[in-house]
Amino acid sequence: MKRRARKDIAERLLAGPVVWIGLVLLTAFALGPFIWMLLTSLKDRQELYATPLQYLPVHPTFQNYVEAWTSPVTPFSRFFLNSLWVCSVTMVATTVVSVLAGYAIARFRFAGRDALLLIFLATQMFPSVLLIAPLLTQWRALGLIDTYQALIYSNFSFTVPFTVWMMVGYFSSIPRDLEESAMIDGCNHFGALCRIVLPLAAPGIAATAIFAFVVSWSELLFAISFTTETSMRTLSAGLLYMVGQYEVQWGQLSAGVILSTVPVAVLFTFLQRHLIHGLTAGAVKG
Amino acid sequence: MTTLTLARPRTRPLISWRVRKLLIGYSYLVPAAFCLLATVVVPIILAIRMSLYADVLYKPQDYRFIGLGNYLRLIEDPVFWLSLRNSVVWVFGSVILQFVFGFAAALLLQQAFRGRALVRTLTLLPWIIPGVVVGLIWEWLYQPNYGVINDLLIRLGLMSERIAWLSSPDLAMAAVVFTNVWRGIPFFAIMLLAGLQAVPDELYEAAHVDGAGVFSRFWHITLPLLRPIIVVATATRIIWTFNYADLIFVMTGGGPANATQITSSYTLLQAYSSLDFGYAAALSVVLLVVMLAFTWAYLRVTKGVEETE
Repeated sequence: MKRRARKDIAERLLAGPVVWIGLVLLTAFALGPFIWMLLTSLKDRQELYATPLQYLPVHPTFQNYVEAWTSPVTPFSRFFLNSLWVCSVTMVATTVVSVLAGYAIARFRFAGRDALLLIFLATQMFPSVLLIAPLLTQWRALGLIDTYQALIYSNFSFTVPFTVWMMVGYFSSIPRDLEESAMIDGCNHFGALCRIVLPLAAPGIAATAIFAFVVSWSELLFAISFTTETSMRTLSAGLLYMVGQYEVQWGQLSAGVILSTVPVAVLFTFLQRHLIHGLTAGAVKG
Repeated sequence: MTTLTLARPRTRPLISWRVRKLLIGYSYLVPAAFCLLATVVVPIILAIRMSLYADVLYKPQDYRFIGLGNYLRLIEDPVFWLSLRNSVVWVFGSVILQFVFGFAAALLLQQAFRGRALVRTLTLLPWIIPGVVVGLIWEWLYQPNYGVINDLLIRLGLMSERIAWLSSPDLAMAAVVFTNVWRGIPFFAIMLLAGLQAVPDELYEAAHVDGAGVFSRFWHITLPLLRPIIVVATATRIIWTFNYADLIFVMTGGGPANATQITSSYTLLQAYSSLDFGYAAALSVVLLVVMLAFTWAYLRVTKGVEETE
């Protein structure tokens, strides 16, 4: 038996009250703003602008949600669907591209491999404001302003470099023997990739896909720069547009904020473990 | 009688196996390389070229090569220098506070308690929601007349009159930094939590047996072991925060009177509002150079860290 050292006072305090107070404060700080936004979205106009401030909605109403969703001036439903489409396509394309590239980098030794990895890393450090002017010029020349393609292609600039790194990490952690024996049994490279490696890397691929979706969901600068029509705005750009319209409608806006938060929050909850593993793997090892 | 099959030599493939393998490898890389080329590499080259031209979108007649003209203008632009100073406050203010609170959060979330998984997920939420959403939430919280922050502070007796946080030149920067801290704490919490979980329990137990207290264990075991992850997380966060323009663009637009104008938001305004692409490109090249210099210094430091361990 190990000799147990007596716990000192500091330790007992830290383990008990300090931890509990800390956790309560942390949770309140993280969630408070969301809760306030939720309460705001359920208030009618009168309650929203009452003095003194009214904290809880006495007559909770979904009116703000209905108005935001169906507004003809700031069609939130349209913004939502635009975002859903742009982010879904970005997610699928990014995943395919990064699975292939990640697999190649993890499995094949070729000239310039390290340089390529370094380029993928370096591009993550470039400011996206740097890309706005040249990309805008490029999309104008190609006639892609106010198209989904321009937004989707532009999203690759920040999704692909990171997801390739994530995928390299996942593939490196899968033993080579399995595919090698599959190939001896007559599978070609692509067959081995599809049948052996992909199922094993499935959690990693899912995390990569979610990551691509979540970061594109947040994208703002490209969305406001490469679209001019209201009907082409994504959620981020649309919310900003709602602010720009005459006086700020905080009721509708708070409903919009809640509606924009829900999809990423749900996705994140589902895949939190894998996502965090992917995001921190490199750093912990490094 | 049995038929004998002779092993026939396999027909030699047109291309040798090794070359074929290499070709397959390269072909897998083509889509990623193309994406990078079209959306990052070519635009950066275009931006560098653009920075040498007078290129204002609505003045096509003035489009011409002006060499370093945009850079000279930049040196004489007081807002640019102010924005660099503001960037330092913004970056270090945000990252230091995010680190301190993120570390505290990681230590708390590492404890065993009921409902830990749920609390972990909930406390990470501020980090994954879009920047615009963060900006709008806090704009509403800071709102002078109907914002809950003023109301709470007055009710608690800490303040006697309402403050217009985001339009006060003295307080606006602190207000946006605070918002950014709210958003960034989970990033450090996640990274450091992953690091904490990788520290073997035996180390703590051994130190415990030897009579080391909580604080000395933290100082002599936790901190040194977490050093690599601290360096990586801090550096990537510094770079990210320096480049990040969304929050300030949404909340203050760099105002009041450029009090919150950081270099990246200034660049964004030049490109997006003034449509002065030449000048915006020059600014972004400067951003890029600052970042590359920082990355270079960072790589040297981390190399040093690895060698000493």
